[in-house]
Amino acid sequence: MLYVNDLHKSYEVGKNKYPVLKGVDFHVAQGEFVAVMGPSGSGKTTLLNCISCYIPFDKGSITVGGVKLAGQNEEMLAEIRNTKLGFVFQDFMLLDGLTIRENILIPRIIQGEVSSEAEKLADELASMFGISHILNKYPAEISGGEKQRAAVARSLINNPLIILADEPTGNLDSKASRTVIETFGNAKTKMNATIFMVTHDSFAASFCDRVILLKDGSIYRQLEKNGERGAFQDELLDVIKEMSMNDRENSLKL
Amino acid sequence: MAHIMNMKQMEQKLQKADRKQSHLYLFCNFMALMIISAYSALMFSPTVQNVFPEGGDSAKQMYMIFVMTLIGCVVFTIYALGLFFRHKSGQLGILMALGASRKRLAPGLFREVFVLSSVSALAGIVAGFPFVWVIWQGFRLVLIDSSDMVLSFDLKCLIVSFLFFLLVVGFACLTAWRYLRKTNIMEVIREEHINEPVKELGKWCGSVGMVLIFVGAALGYGTPSLCHDWLHMYPPSWLGIFYAPALVGLYMVMLHTVVHGWRNNRKNPYRNIISRSMMKFQGKQTVNNLIVITLLIAGACFGIFYLPASAVSALVRYANQAYDYFYHYRADQNVPDREAVEALGNKYQLTLKDWGECEYITLGMGERTIVEEEGSSHYDIEYVPMAGEEKVLSEDAYRMLTGQEADVEPGTYMNIIDMDETSLYVNNSAREFTNMVTRKQLDTEFAGYLYHDLLCDQIGCSVLSNEDYALISEGLTDDWKGRFVQFNIDGKDDYQFANAFYNLFVYSFDKSCELPNYYDRVQKIRDNEAGEVYWGDTEDMSAVSYEHKDSFQFRVFWAYQPQFRVLSQNDYLRSMAVLFMMFLFICIVCMLTALVVCYTRCQTIALNNRYIFDDLKKLGASPQFLHKEIRSQCKNVFQVPAIIGMTAIYMFFVMILYGNDNRLLLTEILAMFVCLGILGVLATIVYVVYRVSVRTIKRQLEI
Repeated sequence: MLYVNDLHKSYEVGKNKYPVLKGVDFHVAQGEFVAVMGPSGSGKTTLLNCISCYIPFDKGSITVGGVKLAGQNEEMLAEIRNTKLGFVFQDFMLLDGLTIRENILIPRIIQGEVSSEAEKLADELASMFGISHILNKYPAEISGGEKQRAAVARSLINNPLIILADEPTGNLDSKASRTVIETFGNAKTKMNATIFMVTHDSFAASFCDRVILLKDGSIYRQLEKNGERGAFQDELLDVIKEMSMNDRENSLKL
Repeated sequence: MAHIMNMKQMEQKLQKADRKQSHLYLFCNFMALMIISAYSALMFSPTVQNVFPEGGDSAKQMYMIFVMTLIGCVVFTIYALGLFFRHKSGQLGILMALGASRKRLAPGLFREVFVLSSVSALAGIVAGFPFVWVIWQGFRLVLIDSSDMVLSFDLKCLIVSFLFFLLVVGFACLTAWRYLRKTNIMEVIREEHINEPVKELGKWCGSVGMVLIFVGAALGYGTPSLCHDWLHMYPPSWLGIFYAPALVGLYMVMLHTVVHGWRNNRKNPYRNIISRSMMKFQGKQTVNNLIVITLLIAGACFGIFYLPASAVSALVRYANQAYDYFYHYRADQNVPDREAVEALGNKYQLTLKDWGECEYITLGMGERTIVEEEGSSHYDIEYVPMAGEEKVLSEDAYRMLTGQEADVEPGTYMNIIDMDETSLYVNNSAREFTNMVTRKQLDTEFAGYLYHDLLCDQIGCSVLSNEDYALISEGLTDDWKGRFVQFNIDGKDDYQFANAFYNLFVYSFDKSCELPNYYDRVQKIRDNEAGEVYWGDTEDMSAVSYEHKDSFQFRVFWAYQPQFRVLSQNDYLRSMAVLFMMFLFICIVCMLTALVVCYTRCQTIALNNRYIFDDLKKLGASPQFLHKEIRSQCKNVFQVPAIIGMTAIYMFFVMILYGNDNRLLLTEILAMFVCLGILGVLATIVYVVYRVSVRTIKRQLEI
């Protein structure tokens, strides 16, 4: 489904060049729910932005559903974003001037005329995620958790190959976070959706099938869930602790 | 509820939701275009063009302030466009992120931007005409009216408005294209929240900036004189570039204001940290705005200063005029004699006293003068025999007229200048006088000055010894002779009499005297004899006409314009009406624009920083604290440009007054005081709008 090979990306600030991704390799299979974790500055969001075609990358390749992103023109990249990818952002990115139903339908509107079939799908998604009652409301009139569930519904409206989520629970309280993560779970089980999520939250990550831990632009370790969610979260926390211990030791050596 | 079915419907709905932003953009564009359209409509109107002497200082002042206003309005529209796009970019970014391509977004975005910019710009251009008409008619109704004040428009003014229209629409579309070209979608999405900090400079930048403002003003003002004195060259218009350090200085001062502020509170350095940071992180916008506001306030003050600068000296001069009535005429004209004037006075129950009259002659006079090189701006100073006309009196005539002794040796002449020694037409280099009828020449040399205000006008006046006068005047015909006449009214003068006498006087001249005072008959003869056409006989020369004897043009430029005190005093404002009202209009327009920019800037502060004020409220900030922060923000927007603009232009004005003759006359000092009073009034207006802005922001932020 998603293949990332030897991905390099650096930012230039003035004359200085800062490498952020230093040869990242992984793949995500159809129907898999994968999280990326790592400390600030490890390159999580940059990785997601490269896969989302929001920013160009320097070297390596990203393949989504058999289509290589490198070398595609702007028109083609837009089409990939619209048809093959679904997006969920930390700050929801709903358009304030549109109702929730209209927001969910935006990817379809971008494609052209909205069909009744699309409207029906929007209603189904809203019902699946428990937001049917707010379909005619505007973003300013609903809660953060509802906004994010609307955003998840929007990400699924075009039946994408993969949903890319950037800190989807970052702006939410624990109750709303849980609901949003369960929404992803629903999407996975009921629609066989593939989800790739960047998060800081070990609780949210513990719902995933696999977690990729990034450190300093490279993959530190990948963990697969083989049992209970709680145990997986403990395992995650141990690895995160180990990662930060290594950091401390390295800095003491220096 | 009707659902959106396609892109166009969605764009329309989003535009409707964003109408607050669109209205702000529309308003800013509309105001800028209306002001430029109104200014250029009045500036190019025949009403103003007929009155403002071409190439004169007043015209230069009008054009200079226009350029300042234009710069201000251009920066203002760009700023408004920036605000609009900062908000719009969030929307564009989300749509791009969700897969809308450039091609998909372009039609809607260009349509929206084109419609908004062109409609607002067109509406502004159109509104400029009624705007100027209403203000002008208001002036006529409330302040002054005269035949000169009838307002007419020349469509030439639309050229400036049209160019500005193209700039506004073109720049709006270019910005839309730039946004669509951005490849980093995250950058587009975050644009609204991206700070624009300015490059920090040391604390020295404020003081260096102030020095540069003064250096720029001195260089810009002084270079044309140096060009004249050292290079013997007419200063080319590009010399205006020497004012550039003043603009750089202004930028540095504003940068200092935004980055460091002017109050160094060492005891409590955190006192203004919030308002300073808010300002600093939108530094680029703020600095641009402050510069625009400063320029506009300076323009407004510079415009209004024209009124006291002209009026005070003229009114003092009229009040100090030695005689109630003073005039001269050519001997071949049928001007009413003493009996006729007395008879007219009787009709108005007035008795004339102190009647005095004497003969003068008009001679050709040599002079060391400017000789232009053909097709070049360079000139040489050479001695030219028969360089121009000179009115010449005998010693006796001068004594009779002025009551002063003039001891002029034969073979010499004395030049008459005004008491303040500010006469423009002084000739102290003549070597001979020429009788223009017989061509007989009288060798002479300069022997000093005599002082009498009434005898100083566009054509110089000299005194010869009685012997030389008799010798050189032999054979002169009446058209080269004339008479000076002066008298007082016994008791209180009557305007009606002065006006009746003025009408009688003007209509007693024939067509050969329907000439402006810069028409020189000696130069004409010299040019004609050299086979050339005298410029005064070409269309380059502005004519005067008896038909418009009450117009500004006639009263200021007619060669035989009499000096009747009561008439001048009463008609001064009327004859100067167009000039004065133009400058009053300039002041109103510049001030209005400056205040609109200030108000809009304050609105932006409220819109952009709403979340900061909300956070401060959550952190427990008291209403008093929040009020102080708002005041501090607004104060910088209003106070700093007002202080810098007003101070700098006042000092520039004083420099001009001083630079005219390297001293300050009493009338100029008086004018400076009047200007200070005007600054006080303008500062009060700025303060009132500042208070209104603070109150509005408080209401918007619910503080």
